[in-house]
Amino acid sequence: MPTELLQQAAADNHWAAIGPELMVGCLALLLLVLEIVLPKARHEIIPSVAVVGLLGIITGFVINYHTAFVGQTTFNGLLRHSGTGQFLRLFFLLAATGVSVLGIVALKRQKMPKVEFFAITLVVSGAMMLLAQANNFVMLFVALETVTVGFYILVSYTRTNPLSLEAGLKYLIMGALSSGILLFGIALLYGVAGNPALTAASADSMNFDALRVFLYANPDNIIAAVGIVLVLSGVAFKVGAVPFQIWIPDVYQGAPTPVTAFLAIASKAAGFAILLTLVTVFDGYQSLVVGVLTVMAIATILFGNLAALTQHNVKRLIGLSGVSHAGYLLVGVIAAIHVPFAVGAICFYLFAYLLGSLAVFGVMTHVSGDDDADQDMDHYADLAKTHPFLGVVLAVGLGSLAGIPPLAGFMGKLLVFLAAFEAGLYALLGVAILGVVISIYYYFGWIKAAFFPQWRPPVFEGDDPLPEPPRQVVSTPAGILLATAALASVLLGFYQGPLGAWLGLG
Amino acid sequence: MADILFHLFAFLTIGSSVAVVYNHNAVNSALAFLVGLIGVSGLFVLLDSFLLAVLMVLVYAGAVVALFLFIIMLLDMQGGERKPFSKATAVAALIGAALLTVCTMTLIRKFGGLETAEMGSILPVGANLKHYADLLFTTYLLPVQVVGFLLLIAMLGVIVLSKKFAGLEDVK
Repeated sequence: MPTELLQQAAADNHWAAIGPELMVGCLALLLLVLEIVLPKARHEIIPSVAVVGLLGIITGFVINYHTAFVGQTTFNGLLRHSGTGQFLRLFFLLAATGVSVLGIVALKRQKMPKVEFFAITLVVSGAMMLLAQANNFVMLFVALETVTVGFYILVSYTRTNPLSLEAGLKYLIMGALSSGILLFGIALLYGVAGNPALTAASADSMNFDALRVFLYANPDNIIAAVGIVLVLSGVAFKVGAVPFQIWIPDVYQGAPTPVTAFLAIASKAAGFAILLTLVTVFDGYQSLVVGVLTVMAIATILFGNLAALTQHNVKRLIGLSGVSHAGYLLVGVIAAIHVPFAVGAICFYLFAYLLGSLAVFGVMTHVSGDDDADQDMDHYADLAKTHPFLGVVLAVGLGSLAGIPPLAGFMGKLLVFLAAFEAGLYALLGVAILGVVISIYYYFGWIKAAFFPQWRPPVFEGDDPLPEPPRQVVSTPAGILLATAALASVLLGFYQGPLGAWLGLG
Repeated sequence: MADILFHLFAFLTIGSSVAVVYNHNAVNSALAFLVGLIGVSGLFVLLDSFLLAVLMVLVYAGAVVALFLFIIMLLDMQGGERKPFSKATAVAALIGAALLTVCTMTLIRKFGGLETAEMGSILPVGANLKHYADLLFTTYLLPVQVVGFLLLIAMLGVIVLSKKFAGLEDVK
């Protein structure tokens, strides 16, 4: 290829368009360099460097939120910058900051190496930001694999705990299986859309725009249909939708609590970012996509809520309730095919879920004892009396997740359900509302454990009193994070419109 | 000629893949996997994708399977006495096969047969190294960079998960 052609091809690589991702990547490298350069005694400042750096990147990103790149494709069609993409980038940056703060708290008790945790978290969130803007299957798969490989390591990070190792192994096997299914679907779509015997075939059939045109031109192609179902199944694994949810309870329980938070918040949001993109790409096969997603959504909502009812371990409970949240979001995705404002509703729901989850996981990090996987409802006894701050944050977070008015979670659910109503998905709406009603039972069981005095066996003289459940002192950064998450959960319940408009969600 | 070769390589691939699953001895499975990869690379040659064929042999057959064998021999895994099928597996396999047949029949009835293209009309993108490298360094530069980060965190993961640290008691 002559030099001019090379230059032409490279001219579309606007590195400025992915400035935040570059900075996140460089911050990760900086942490690793600092670990080598700084003397051992000064290593405690490295996690703070990660958090401060992330806050700096967020500030810069918010100032440049409305860049000229929105609505354009760069990198030869690999990336498409959209309003939703911008929001999701901010979302992943915020999630990474929250998880890093929780990581500082949780890792203090471990003898594990610390710096790697923050470096991997940063790289994973950078990859998620790219994932939200991917416009090509190559980009999508590479970014998704970076995220998944990062999570394999993070899930088994506390390797002295057998449950963490088991969770890592399970996640590795299920993750590899789901990647295989996704890749098989991509290969089928690539092959069939590149077949010159068919109309509108493209030489660049990994590209979403070319694929969309092809699928419109060939609405009855068997290979494309199988490919679409396989791709949707692969993504459903990542969001934990039934019937691909089997890994969720064990992995959520075994992973260190900050990683569980990261999985619940960011990994799920990344899956829905992919789904929102793919639903528009697969528009030519609407009836197939809607059919598959509807069955999944109903099964996910019912399974998640019913399975969570019997859980006593709070990490498993939050994992299974996360499954049901994925179900509500799937309803939103189906609605988004017909109703444009459903995309904004999904974004708001995700944001409310981020705040509520950060609050709950923050409290969980502080309440958990030495064994991170063993966090029971009983550990929350008298939490409101001994730690009023943690108790209130927990109540607000759980209330928001359950969807109690006037908290942010309620508004999120209301917006998604309104979109579903407008799209005419009455059956799905009925199932979703039933699911919400069931969920209130277990969320309130948890709040009750923290707020209401529990019956205790009487302590006789001479007996040792029952051991106190472990409690941790809340450090300033963690306190700021928890207070912000709880306050924002309350405020966003009253005030959404102008913020949504500014974020470009409408 | 090409047809005969295609069938030869196809049967080689499928046959050795079945052997991977059914073998009791892990070393035999790994070697059968090697044969399967050779079959796949033969299929790539028939598709004029010489680069992919060479990469298949070099990377998978050469490096990955050798690594598998290393690990299998290092752990000294025995086949064990387990039966290949339990009753539940047989029932599940039956139901799965029935579902697959029904799905395939429905899909074929609904969508009809497959279209085939003329061999020469498809561009063999994986045929030559230069074309491939051009793409890697221009169009797909960003994914290549991201893969760099992927390898970096994979390396960090190996260190975190396997290095001996002072005061850390590992799970036995």
